[in-house]
Amino acid sequence: MKWPLAKRAIPDRQIPLYNRFYLHAAAASQVDPIMVWGTEIDADALQAFLRERNRNGRILITVAHALIRAAALALEQFPEMNVRLVGRRIYAFRDVNIRMAFFHHRNGEMDLLLISHANSKSLEQIGLEIWQRLLQAGRGEGDRDRDLARLRWFSGFWFRQVLRLYGFLDRHMPLPSLGRLDATRASCVTVNDLSFRGAPPMRIYKPTRFPDRADSLNLTLGPVESKVVARSNQFVSINVMPLFLRADHRLADAQLVGRFLAAVRDLLSHPERLDSHADESTAQARFSESPAKPTAASA
Amino acid sequence: MTVDRKQLETDIVQLVQARGARYTEVTLRTDLLESGLLDSLLLMDLIFHIEEVYGIRFDSNHVNPSNFRTIMDIVSFVLDQAPVSQRHPE
Repeated sequence: MKWPLAKRAIPDRQIPLYNRFYLHAAAASQVDPIMVWGTEIDADALQAFLRERNRNGRILITVAHALIRAAALALEQFPEMNVRLVGRRIYAFRDVNIRMAFFHHRNGEMDLLLISHANSKSLEQIGLEIWQRLLQAGRGEGDRDRDLARLRWFSGFWFRQVLRLYGFLDRHMPLPSLGRLDATRASCVTVNDLSFRGAPPMRIYKPTRFPDRADSLNLTLGPVESKVVARSNQFVSINVMPLFLRADHRLADAQLVGRFLAAVRDLLSHPERLDSHADESTAQARFSESPAKPTAASA
Repeated sequence: MTVDRKQLETDIVQLVQARGARYTEVTLRTDLLESGLLDSLLLMDLIFHIEEVYGIRFDSNHVNPSNFRTIMDIVSFVLDQAPVSQRHPE
């Protein structure tokens, strides 16, 4: 059993006023606090970086691993984003964990995995962990796979009842993670790598929110596209990748969301920065009992 | 089953080429990493196809660039991993 959240909620007075308007709006007012911000990154730089790493590296590194690392470093930089809602209170996560959607080869469907303390892991460590899980999933050998298989035995009626009860408790109380199935709740962000070969160009993307409601943020990277831009009074062709962020105004305003997205974009466009302080950080953070202290963002 | 290099090469090339139009030109020596053709979906398809057909078990440490750069590298890795009794005499 693990407690992903800090013991105490962030005091109301530390929450920006406009976030509180959204937070405390009556359900009947049908306020929509979800915002989606799309931008693009310099894919040439990211691809060149990955090619270089894969020339000499010991573990195959992909765009998904870079996205996880970038999200983790950006969260470390903006701890006020590393939070979730419980009822109408906001709790900080204890650690910087990143959740990733992946294709479960054996089941032929999507599943989630969690990279804990991703801010203190190198790209190679993240890569190794992910390949391990993907291999395990493909063989159906992992404990989580056994739990997922058991879950399939639930009829639609009982599945709905369990989800409703668990969902109600999870929305209103800072619950611990009890097992392998709900361990992925320990992250405020889900990352999606949709840059696979054959994916159509992405103009707009509205990421869904997983029913456990832990992830207020979703970062999705789309496929590479060529684009002509003007640089130094000349037209040049460059490769870009679309990057979408879904966020919740109850937890962060557009200014903070924009800064967070800019940090992720900057890391992916200058991927050499992904290697920064993987080693120096956070055995400390890993074993620290105290959560990152969120600070109020300007409204 | 006996692992024959030629048969293995043909099998893997066919598997990769069947991915779609971008893959039809892939040969034994195409650099899958430099060309950006190898994504995690293809990688997992390759690994589990090899595991199922040739009885080789991959470890996460085996997912390294040198084993998956070209189809030739994949074939060499599989042959290295295959028990001696299963290798077809050259």
